[in-house]
Amino acid sequence: MRFMVLVKATADSEAGAQPTQELLEAMMAYNEELVKAGIMKGGDGLQPSSKGARVQFDGARRTVVDGPFAETKELVAGYWIWECKSLDEAIEWVKRCPNPMPGPSEIEIRPFYDLADFGEIVSPEVEAQWQRLKTEIGDN
Amino acid sequence: MRVMVLVKADKASEAGEMPSEDMLTRMGAYNEELVKAGVMLAGEGLHPTSKGLRMRFSGNERAITDGPFAETKELLAGFWIWQVRSIDEAVEWLKRAPFDGGTEIELRPIFEMEDFGEAMTPELREQEERLRAETAKLGG
Repeated sequence: MRFMVLVKATADSEAGAQPTQELLEAMMAYNEELVKAGIMKGGDGLQPSSKGARVQFDGARRTVVDGPFAETKELVAGYWIWECKSLDEAIEWVKRCPNPMPGPSEIEIRPFYDLADFGEIVSPEVEAQWQRLKTEIGDN
Repeated sequence: MRVMVLVKADKASEAGEMPSEDMLTRMGAYNEELVKAGVMLAGEGLHPTSKGLRMRFSGNERAITDGPFAETKELLAGFWIWQVRSIDEAVEWLKRAPFDGGTEIELRPIFEMEDFGEAMTPELREQEERLRAETAKLGG
């Protein structure tokens, strides 16, 4: 099963505080273990929301709002994509993560939808297109 | 540059409501354009937060809270990772997405190694490059 593992933002990450070398080394060693275990499929840090934007969709209307955004602890500061046998396995791996922030922090775990979850509304054409696109972006 | 495109949740997505066949078809066509243009690197839908959880890090303590979570419009329902020339290009692509009905999408630039400055030592840089190459081989 695939999961998104989200590192939530804090005042520090939103202020653009750089990680220390110590944290970078600890996180790199952790990522090394994830890769060795065949779990890590991807992962990145996101720049603070001051560097980002939001687009609001309402019918045909599109409204662009520049960051920063207010709800710090609900913002995303980083993510991984993992392949695990179960949610429990993902939880065990998250427990072993070095604290990604200088102070208290939070990590959220979310399972991915598979096309199979959408059931009958997926036509054979859409399914074939999905498989083809996944192959083209190298996500097999 | 790479950006993360965060599709925020709404009541429907948190209730596990399925998209219509029409929406799946339009989204398939949009993803097709993104792949053809070399923009789409990854993209997934997330199950509602009732299927997820959060882990709090504080010193050596780890505390788990099961979903669902309350702040619906700040929750994540899906994401893409895009390769673009600028945030402006990402905004132009995003305006063409087949969302409507009050969806909000957030765009966040991804940290590259250069952004970390001196803490990203040559050894860490080499390790990062090696892990990314191994992750790519794992089909991420």
